[in-house]
Amino acid sequence: MLDVRNLYAGYGIVPVLEDVSLTASGGEILLIGGENGAGKSTLMRAIAGFNKPTAGDVLLDGKPLQGMAPEAIAQQGLRLVLDGHRVFPELSVYDNLRMGAAARRGDREGFGKAVEEIYSVFPILKERHRQYARDLSGGQQQMLALGQAFVAQPKVLLCDEPSMGLAQALLPPILAFLRKWAEAGTAIVIVEQHLSVTAPYADRAMIIERGKVRFSCPASELDDRLKEMETAETDA
Amino acid sequence: MAVSDTVAASDAGAPRKQRFSSDLPQVWIGMALIAVTGFLPSFLGNSYWVHTFQLVNIYIAAAIFQNFLFVDAGQKSFGQGVILGLGAYVTAIFFGLHDYSFAMAAAIGLGAAALGGLLFALPALRVQYFHLGFVTLSAAIVFPQLLMTLDRWTNGINGISVEMPELHHEIGLGLSPLTILVAVYPMLALWVHYFIRRSRLGRQMRVAAISPEGARSLGIKPGLMRFTAFVIAAIGTGICGILYLPTVAFVSPQGFNVELSFVFFFAVVVGGRGQMLGPIIGIWIVFILPNIALAGFVEYRLLIYGFLTLVTVILFPDGVVGTIERWRARRGVAGRGEQAFRVDAFLDRLKGDRVAEPSGNVAIEVRGGTKKFGEVIAVNEVDLTVREGEIHGLIGANGSGKTSLLNVLSGLSRLDSGSFVINGREATRLAADRIANMGVGRTFQTPRIYPQFSLWENLKVGMDARTGDTGSDMDALARALEQEFSEDSAELLSHGQRRLVEVMRTVLKEASIILFDEPAAGLSQSERANFSRLVRFLSRQMGKTVILVEHDLDLVWGIADTITVMEQGRIVASGNPEAVAEDPAVQHMFIGGRRA
Amino acid sequence: MLLEITVIVVRGIAIGSIFAMIAMSFNIVHGATGILNFAQGNMLVLGGFAAYFLANAAGLGWWLLMLPVAGILIAILVAFQGWVTLLPLRSSVEQDSWIISTVSVSVILGAAVLVTQGPFTYTVQGVVPSFRILGVRTPGAYALAIGCMLFWFFAMRIFLRKTFLGLAISALRQDFDAARAAGLPVRRLQIVAFAISGLMIGTAGFLVAPVISVSSDAGLRYVLNGFVAAVVGGIGSNLGTLIGGPLVGVVGMLTAYKIGGAYQDLASLLLLIAILMLRPQGLFGRSSARRV
Repeated sequence: MLDVRNLYAGYGIVPVLEDVSLTASGGEILLIGGENGAGKSTLMRAIAGFNKPTAGDVLLDGKPLQGMAPEAIAQQGLRLVLDGHRVFPELSVYDNLRMGAAARRGDREGFGKAVEEIYSVFPILKERHRQYARDLSGGQQQMLALGQAFVAQPKVLLCDEPSMGLAQALLPPILAFLRKWAEAGTAIVIVEQHLSVTAPYADRAMIIERGKVRFSCPASELDDRLKEMETAETDA
Repeated sequence: MAVSDTVAASDAGAPRKQRFSSDLPQVWIGMALIAVTGFLPSFLGNSYWVHTFQLVNIYIAAAIFQNFLFVDAGQKSFGQGVILGLGAYVTAIFFGLHDYSFAMAAAIGLGAAALGGLLFALPALRVQYFHLGFVTLSAAIVFPQLLMTLDRWTNGINGISVEMPELHHEIGLGLSPLTILVAVYPMLALWVHYFIRRSRLGRQMRVAAISPEGARSLGIKPGLMRFTAFVIAAIGTGICGILYLPTVAFVSPQGFNVELSFVFFFAVVVGGRGQMLGPIIGIWIVFILPNIALAGFVEYRLLIYGFLTLVTVILFPDGVVGTIERWRARRGVAGRGEQAFRVDAFLDRLKGDRVAEPSGNVAIEVRGGTKKFGEVIAVNEVDLTVREGEIHGLIGANGSGKTSLLNVLSGLSRLDSGSFVINGREATRLAADRIANMGVGRTFQTPRIYPQFSLWENLKVGMDARTGDTGSDMDALARALEQEFSEDSAELLSHGQRRLVEVMRTVLKEASIILFDEPAAGLSQSERANFSRLVRFLSRQMGKTVILVEHDLDLVWGIADTITVMEQGRIVASGNPEAVAEDPAVQHMFIGGRRA
Repeated sequence: MLLEITVIVVRGIAIGSIFAMIAMSFNIVHGATGILNFAQGNMLVLGGFAAYFLANAAGLGWWLLMLPVAGILIAILVAFQGWVTLLPLRSSVEQDSWIISTVSVSVILGAAVLVTQGPFTYTVQGVVPSFRILGVRTPGAYALAIGCMLFWFFAMRIFLRKTFLGLAISALRQDFDAARAAGLPVRRLQIVAFAISGLMIGTAGFLVAPVISVSSDAGLRYVLNGFVAAVVGGIGSNLGTLIGGPLVGVVGMLTAYKIGGAYQDLASLLLLIAILMLRPQGLFGRSSARRV
């Protein structure tokens, strides 16, 4: 579904990503890990159109997306949830969800159903649906940010560090929600720092180092591969 | 990697580097252009062109100061015509109406211009950006109104005529003293701009204009920089006003309406913002073209100014000179990969005579510190003690509050409750520049790199921020860095290397307490090893206190004396590395977490 | 004495309403783009010219018909200006080229009017008859100015809080990147914001044409007073403009009556400097003016 081939990208004239390829098909979760500064966020932003790749292809169902503006890419069905639980603070919870529907205009019925679904997964959002988003806690804001993406029903969801600034205990219910979402046929890519907490929910994993793919593997083997890598480095 | 290898290789092998900044050649070309247009008409005896270029050269000088204000200080002023007008009018009033000597009248005129500059500069202490644009534009509208209304002093619409025949007498080669004066002054203005730009003050102004946050962490007060820039520009432009008087021999309110201010501003944009030659080319295009080449369409003048500027902004945002300059610079750009900036070659120059150990004295102490952003608590009831001379590792997941804590300690954000002390001084409510001047230096996660500066100047802003005396080995280090990097561009550095530049900047600042925000992110293994050595050196040989926010746990455990772990804004563990490693709160960070 | 106070207050508030509308038209564009349109004063004057050419001394019916026409014409013009202004921002690293381009558009408009219409002040006859307040004869356009301000205030309030389009425009200000990630068509929304500001200022110019100075050089003065009104109220706050506009208007009138008409703009300038020094975020604004 999402097919990224030999992507190069950076900021200004400084290259960050080199020759990164990845795929994500409907129904599966790809977990991306790597140190801070390795280029994970840059990768997410390059795929979603926030910085233009200098070379390489981003294909959604075979259709090239590279070079398009981020809002156009979102309209095509590829949705990035930015890190740091970013919502529109001066809009109510419900209006925040409404903004999410910008990427699927004209489907009122589907929107209402999606909102009901979000409310049933995160009842706190329903409880507080008239309040300003700025008055939510960080965890609730992250739920809202995901809910906003959910109502758009994208084909591909990119999720940058859903755990950022949250208590670790909040992460499992969010990951469980993403898992269920993926099983409904969406392709999901998660960038996460808490690899061990996230890996059980993912199908495949990929580690990025200094702008390049270090390795990818089934998520269940991630722990072993990381240990292997560390031993190798310590020996070297 | 042997030290001498890298230095020698780049010394011997590389061809002569292309000049990083073309300011100096541009100044010389500018001098030549002004000399030709200023003197040649006199040699040829063409009085029309003599007179025209007298005025043009005065306007060029005014535009040079506009350029300085616009780019070096980052301030958009639409009121420089007012300053020039104040200089001219007040001189005219005292010289022409009250029979003061010209020198005396000019001195009063200059004082008036400086006062006008103060009027702009006062709000600049508090605000910037478009606010000052509106203040200066208002002044440009009000000024001619006042000249009309205050006719008791200004002669109102009739204006003031003056005669100064002695300045127009030929003294040889067809030149008059006035011609020489008005040609030499813009040349002088070019040099003034050039030397301010190369001075400590000029660098600090530019840093403040580009990144107020970065400036404050170097102890610079951005408001004060803006204030100073407005005053300097006012004095320079006021002198233009004084020269205007004998050149035109007449002042009237119509001569100083908004249009005049627009000419200076638009000339800088069209010529090329920040380029030394920009104001010269700009005035030629914006002023000469409509006034002389299209003299039959005087009423279309403003329309032409407007369109020229709009088209320039949309199509050639760098202006005429800037577009050429960019083309030149692009030809010379070449990256040096991982070799572009290394610190190891310079470590040996710091001999550091002492061997320090962390002392029992407290460098930083935080008590009950809490910082909230809306409902989100970034730092929650934090107690933290950092001993003098120690390397204090601060670790935790992204978003756990480490950077928020660093921002509080460097004064960039303020605690909602609680307090902290630096070197025994209460610092909770101190501004960032005050804290920086107490000897605190920091780096940022997104490094503050100034592409307008060469790589060496990027480092030198650290030296500019020094508060104490410098050691001789620090001077030696500075000289070595200057020799190596004075013609290099900082723009091509990778993010990792940019972090190293910031690290080196704090070293040159000779801060006694250094806060590093994820300095190793994006560095290779060998660069990391070098960085570890550097931090160790800073602490042990130079006795500096280091707080190190870092995700590379191996690196932290390798060099830290004390480690503090944050989670959700709280401190969950703190102590010596061995003890902290055993802490259950930390254990899970190791499992599969090193890559996080 | 009472008479004088009435004149100062009534006229001050009415003229101030015009400043308030300029300030409101600043706010919608600033919210969506971060741009303050220096040309907005000339747009107001163009609205006045629209009244002169389309509906001078016309009957009430024709006049009412031409009101939206004038608004839409100016809206199209401002939307086009917005499109041009946003062009360089698409790629450039430098994000403040708009100051230069909106100032140059302001200069171009003023110069174009000068070249085509000459340096004269045009008189537009009002349709609404004058009336008496506390015995003071007051031109009908003053009542229109106040009414127009209140209309646009409530219209914007409903638009920005209830409609999808309005909510989306305010979302742009709150988090631009998140808005793009959500698939909001940001460029189009920004142009719409420009168009709305044009609609606002075009109708305002049309309605108040009998009491403003419809001439080539008036635009800058209006835009400056509008800016002072916006700063006093706090940039971004429409509620603030309801206070800021009339305040600037009354201060101006007071100056005109007590010191002299030529000092009105000086009074506004001093008010601006005072508020920037004492309370840069304005009465209702958050501290956005003071960007360290």
